[in-house]
Amino acid sequence: MACVVPDLMGFAEMVDRGTNDQEERILRLWTPLLLRSILVASVILLATGLVLAITGPSQHYVKTFENAQHGLTHQPTSFPIIVHHALQGDPDAVMTIGLMVLTLVPLARVLFCFLLFLREGDFVYVLFTAYVLTSLILGIVLGRIG
Amino acid sequence: MLEVLGGLFALALGSGFIGALSGLGGGVFIVPALVILAHVPMYVAVGASLMSVVATSAGASVAFVRDGWTNLRVAMVLECATVTGAVAGAFLAGHVPPWALELLFSLTMLQSAYFSSRKKGEGILAQSDRLATRLRLSGVYPASLSNPSSKPISYGVENVPGGALVMLLAGITSGLLGIGSGALKVIAMDSVMHLPLKVSSATSNFMIGVTAGAGALVFLARGDVPTAIAAPVALGVTAGALVGSRMLVFINVKWLRLTFILLQVLIAAEMGWRALSRI
Repeated sequence: MACVVPDLMGFAEMVDRGTNDQEERILRLWTPLLLRSILVASVILLATGLVLAITGPSQHYVKTFENAQHGLTHQPTSFPIIVHHALQGDPDAVMTIGLMVLTLVPLARVLFCFLLFLREGDFVYVLFTAYVLTSLILGIVLGRIG
Repeated sequence: MLEVLGGLFALALGSGFIGALSGLGGGVFIVPALVILAHVPMYVAVGASLMSVVATSAGASVAFVRDGWTNLRVAMVLECATVTGAVAGAFLAGHVPPWALELLFSLTMLQSAYFSSRKKGEGILAQSDRLATRLRLSGVYPASLSNPSSKPISYGVENVPGGALVMLLAGITSGLLGIGSGALKVIAMDSVMHLPLKVSSATSNFMIGVTAGAGALVFLARGDVPTAIAAPVALGVTAGALVGSRMLVFINVKWLRLTFILLQVLIAAEMGWRALSRI
């Protein structure tokens, strides 16, 4: 299949060997590496947030849990504010960033598939993956609206 | 404080472990565990559970993809339906009364228990229908894991619209109830589209993270994921699932099947009772 985009990931030699080889190489080598890296970053942030919660004011975590038991879960959604709080050592903000990083895993997985199909020049599947990506982003917009 | 944190982590660890052993996923068990045992509202449990499903599935499907069981094209076509459903479901979850969520969870558990007790299809479709052929959905899978040089077996696909419809439902239940909806996804591929069972399971595993991720993004953007619960739950369920999937090699889960079916029926009864007593 024709090469339609620049060699983004260094596997141009795979193109002439057919779709399955190329799919396999991307999925076997690159996708797990990136997904695992994101997952590890997220786990480190979540664990750091929990350690901060344990070592911080003793009643803060329990109070947050009790609020959640009463349905009071609202967290800040503005990214600059969350980062600002995280830099000040706020455990909730650190854990929120950890959860945000975690949601990058599915986004990255679909993005990889998008690049794969784009590279193969398979535009029907480029459209399918573009729709999935757009829907994921639309989900963020819908969440912001309420 | 450590009792609360330790309790949540233990619930998550157990849910992830049972989820991996039963093949149903941690979400199916952590949601009722949080609602029934930790006295957390259903809606809060859903937000936390979706994050744990994303975390668990992040590395789970890699082996299947590597071994050639996952049909990436089928996954992508059907993800259009599951992601649409998951975004809609997660949006609705913020506006649906708690008893309705609990009742729907109860019904989903009953459906899942019925599916677990039923014999799965084993046939292979020789040829794809017209739409599946145009979308090039046919695939091959390794004939033998122990002998990689053996000739791969090819299979066909049919009834893509029917499969997509069931996938839309799977997406809605995932976003509404905080589960991976793996059982419904396998039904769509195995029973409706007639894909080989193991290809259906592997492709479903690949899709679960993206479906749950769609719902999780809605909850996160709305500021509705309780970090104090979601963080230990995500870590605990993932750890439990890792241990559970390692134990699968040593445990013959066939004799546990009846226990898992009974557990699902019990959870369905408890969640159903809670829902009906609230109406």
